[in-house]
Formats: sequence, C-alpha cells, structure tokens
Amino acid sequence: MLSPEILITILIYGGTLGGVLALLSSGFTMIFGVVRILNMAHGAFFATGAYIAYTIVASLGTAPVFATALAAILVGAIGAAMYRALLAHIKRLEATVIIVTLALALILEQLLLIRFGEHGLNLSPIVAGVVEIFTIPISAIRVLALAFSVVTLALLAVFITRTRTGKEIVAASQNLEGAVIIGLHIEKLFLLSVFISSVLAGLGGALYAQVYGVNPFLVLRVLVLAFAIVIFGGLGSLKGSVVASFIMGYIIILVTMLLGARWSEMVALMTIIAVLVIRPNGLFGVRD
Amino acid sequence: MRKAWLRSYVGNLVGVAVLAAMFFPLPLLVDEALLYVLGMAFLFVLLSISWDLVTGYTGVVNLGLTVFVGLGGYTSGLLQEAGRLKGTELAFISELSGLPVYATILIGGLVAAAVGLAIGAATLRLKGWYFALVTAILPLVFVQTTYVWKDIFGGEEGFVVHASLGTTVVEKYYAALAMLLVCLVCVLAVTASRIGMRWRAVREDEVLAEALGFSTTRYRVAAFVLSSFIAGVAGAATVHYRLVANNDLYDVPLLLLVILAVVVGGAGTVWGPVAGGLIVFSVKNWWLKPLVYGYIWPAGIPLNDDMILYAALIAIAILRPHGLWGSLVKMPKALSHRFNRGPIQPKIPLSRAGR
Repeated sequence: MLSPEILITILIYGGTLGGVLALLSSGFTMIFGVVRILNMAHGAFFATGAYIAYTIVASLGTAPVFATALAAILVGAIGAAMYRALLAHIKRLEATVIIVTLALALILEQLLLIRFGEHGLNLSPIVAGVVEIFTIPISAIRVLALAFSVVTLALLAVFITRTRTGKEIVAASQNLEGAVIIGLHIEKLFLLSVFISSVLAGLGGALYAQVYGVNPFLVLRVLVLAFAIVIFGGLGSLKGSVVASFIMGYIIILVTMLLGARWSEMVALMTIIAVLVIRPNGLFGVRD
Repeated sequence: MRKAWLRSYVGNLVGVAVLAAMFFPLPLLVDEALLYVLGMAFLFVLLSISWDLVTGYTGVVNLGLTVFVGLGGYTSGLLQEAGRLKGTELAFISELSGLPVYATILIGGLVAAAVGLAIGAATLRLKGWYFALVTAILPLVFVQTTYVWKDIFGGEEGFVVHASLGTTVVEKYYAALAMLLVCLVCVLAVTASRIGMRWRAVREDEVLAEALGFSTTRYRVAAFVLSSFIAGVAGAATVHYRLVANNDLYDVPLLLLVILAVVVGGAGTVWGPVAGGLIVFSVKNWWLKPLVYGYIWPAGIPLNDDMILYAALIAIAILRPHGLWGSLVKMPKALSHRFNRGPIQPKIPLSRAGR
C-alpha cells in the first residue's frame, strides 16, 4: 500500500513542515534557555514576518528572497524593541511576562485581522515551478524551504558552538551568576538572544507563507505548536526542539494523509501530551 | 485559629450581604440593556473567581481555564438540544429530553470537574513552566473538536439553545445574581477553611508545605477541580443566558479578559476578582464597545475594544507589576521562589541594572 512515490512525498512534505517548525521552535526555546522568559508573542512574530514579507513584495515589488530576508530582520528588531521596552524590567516576574507577551500577541493578531482581513494570503514564492525528485513532481519552494531551514539551523549551531559571542550566550544560559562574575555583558547577550530568536520566527513565518499561505489565526495556532514541540523536546534544549519539530512535522503530514487535514493538529497535540504524561521532562529536557 | 476563622467568615458574609443589597434593587433603577450586561458580568465574575483559585491561591499559572468553560457550556447546551446527537454513539442521550435547565447546568459543571480531575492529576505533577505550557495547549485542542465534529458542535457559528435561564431579562438577571452569591458563599467558606490555608501554604513555600506532611500536588488538584467545576457551571449558565453555544467559550481572548479582571482586582483574594470582574466586563461591554464603534472606527483608527483592554493589561502589568492593588505581590514572589531555585538564576538584581 505504501508505494515509493507516497513515501517520498511524505518524506519531503513532512521535512518541509518540520524544518519551518524547527525555525519557529528553536527561537522559542532559545529565548527561554537564555533569558528564562516564555515569549507568548513568538507565534505573533512568526505571522508578522509573513505579513511584512507580503507587504514588501506587494508595495515595493521587490524579489521575494529580498523581502524574506528583510522581513526576518524587521521582526528581529520588533522582538528586540519588545524586550527593551516591555520585558527587560519585569523578566523576573514569570507570571507577569506570560501575561504581557500573551496580551501583545493578541494585539498583533487583532492588528493583522483589521489590516489584512481573516482570509488567507499567499506570498509569492522565492522559486516558482516544480522539481522532479525520482520522477515525483514536488513544488520547488517546498524543497527550498527545507534547505533554507536546515542551512539556517546549521548556521545557528555554528554560531553557538564556534563563535565567542555564541559561547558567551551558552555560558549565560548555563550559569548566569558565573557569567556576571567573569564580566560578561548580560543585558547585551539577552538582547542579542531575543533578536536572533525573533529573526528565526520571522524567517520561519515568511517561508511558511510561501508554502502554505498565511492568516492572522496563525498567531495562536503556531504558538501552540511551538509549545507542544518545546515541551516534547525539553524546554531550553535546541537539539530537542529541532528533533521534536521534525517528529511533529511528520505526525501532522501522516495524519493529514490518513485521516484528513482537520484532524492533523488535534492528533499531533494529543500525541505530544500523551508522551509528556509518560516523560514529564521531554526528550532532552534538563531534570531539575 | 477557630476564632479568626469565625471572624473572617462573618466579615465575608457581611460582604456578600452588601453585594446582594447593592444589586438586588437594580432592576427598578436601570434599563434592560444594562441589566443584561450586568447579568453576564455576574457569570463572568464566576470565571475570575475560578481562575484565581488555582493561580492566585495555589500559585501555578493555569492557561487552560477556558477548556472548562467550553466543556460546561457545550455539555449543558447539548443536553438541552439533544437532537444534535442523533446518529452518533451518544444518541441515547436524546431520549433524556426535558431535563430542567439547572440540572443540565449542574451536569455541565460536573463534566468539567471530571475532566479537570483527569487533566489536573496528569499535569500538576509537572514543574511550573511545563504546567503553564501544557494547559496553554489544551484550549486549542478543544476548539479543534468543534470543527472536527461540526455536525454536533456547529463549528464556528455554534448552535442555538432554546432552554433559557429565565423568560425575561429581569429573571435572567436574578438567576445570574443568585448563582454568583451561592458560589461566593461556598468559595469564601473554602478559602477561609483549613484547605484554603493549605493552598496558600503550597503557594508560599512548596518545600515547607511538603515537610509539614501534606501533598502539594493533591491540594493543587483539589483547587483545580473546584475551579473547573465553577468554570463549567459559569460556561453552562452563559449558554443558557445568551442562548447560543459557541466556540468562543473555549478561546484565548476570554482567558485574557479573565486574567485582566484578576490583575485589576488583585490575585489570591476572593473579593479582588469579584470587583475586577464586575469592572472589566462592564467597562468592556457597556462603555468601551459603544466608544469604539461610535467614535474610534468612524475616525478610521484601527483599534478595537479588545486591543484597548490588552494594552491596559500590559500597562498595568508593567507599571504596577504587583497588581493594581498590590496584592499580586504574593504570587510572583512565590513563583519566582519556585522557579529560581536552579543555578541559572542571578542573585544579583540584574533587572535593576538596566533601569
């Protein structure tokens, strides 16, 4: 029953979704790991990235690849501004941070609804057309989005493990007190982490919109997916969230193919919750 | 201890009596439109009391409150409109038609409490962050159910319910007021009792509470179940008040409105959420909506009532991080105490450095 064609389709489709989700959730888990805040506006940044890219293409007529990059950087700036203006002073009050960022997410959602309406929009893809993989036609943007995600995540890994700044960020996430004592500029590292995290969200959103389209309700839908992924992968673990993203992507694609699209997210979320009940700290979560 | 309990209990009863005396003669004084909003506000206050029981009293952030509002609402609504269940495995329920509306509201509350017991028992073992995230996932799962089984739940539009809390607006108003007063008396009795004291002990110092020999998880689950029951009853009553069962009962904006009410009134108290709930709901529906659709929209400003309330919530949370009346002081302290125990947290007040 499983022909090689279907198998390859599942492999690519799940990989694309997993890759985009990995961009989304690695940013979410990174902000938690370093700054120790749960950014409920992360899904809003994802959707905002898509809409900014759409607006740039529509109003300036630039190439989608340029719009995607610019949107990612602009979302990074929005994230950094949010951290500076709203969160820097209250970040130790965990409940307050959750409430403030959730309120911000819903404000952004309402803005997008008022500005763009509730119907989905399609962002013109960076590459049009289809490519044939083992004689199976697959739209080129799917393959490119997967490649983009993998390259970006690889760059992130290199940045964190190989560069001085990246190592400082890791140090701050491992032992904040120690990082302060050896003279690291903590606030700068926090701001940089929030910026990177938001850039990843914006990039993920812009790519997602090119493959699947975008609507304002993504703000909460992808946020919840990010929650499920990071608790499955282990809060604060980049490796865990990347692995969990691809698992999530494949679960969603499989359920969509077997049961239909309307079941996909529900089944995926239930699966994650069930796993969590058995393994409360996720796949790679730190036990404390 | 017994004397103090008695004193606070008598004080609370006087408070309930004052509240009743304030709202009882109102139908003689104001018009039906305002009465309708106030009756809805009473049911909304039930939600803010309910959220505060878990988050304010036992100190874990529950982002899944609306699951129980929706469960209560859909359960009671479907029991009254049992014809919707024909052709499913639940068709036998359609033979139960003709149940009194208060019976189905109670069943709605019990179903919510049962699901609350299952969810609470599974998730309250989790550490604070994980609990917040898992409970945040649940409302979306339940919203999806209304789309997946569209024939039963009616999807986005929901379905019309014919059984009403009362035949006139005044009757509905008194029904809602009565439910609020009964709930208030019960919750005040529980929070003033030994159980309420232990909830606060769990919030203030989990380790000490365990050392004193009572299970923090069990007490949190108890608070969670009571909270789910109240939320379920409030959701069911709302359905029979406005006569439509709809998936906005499950949705996040409702949760944020509840949080705003508790933040305005003060967490970890019962009277705070009562005041906050009445203020927030009336302001939103009586004052803010006409303002937005009468003046702001025609002027072409892209703002709506929800956005103004969310902005107010952000402003309050940042300018007065301890709540409008200072009573949130206890909650964040207890939370940061629990979360900050790891080696990751700074002892040096870094947040001050940037000020």
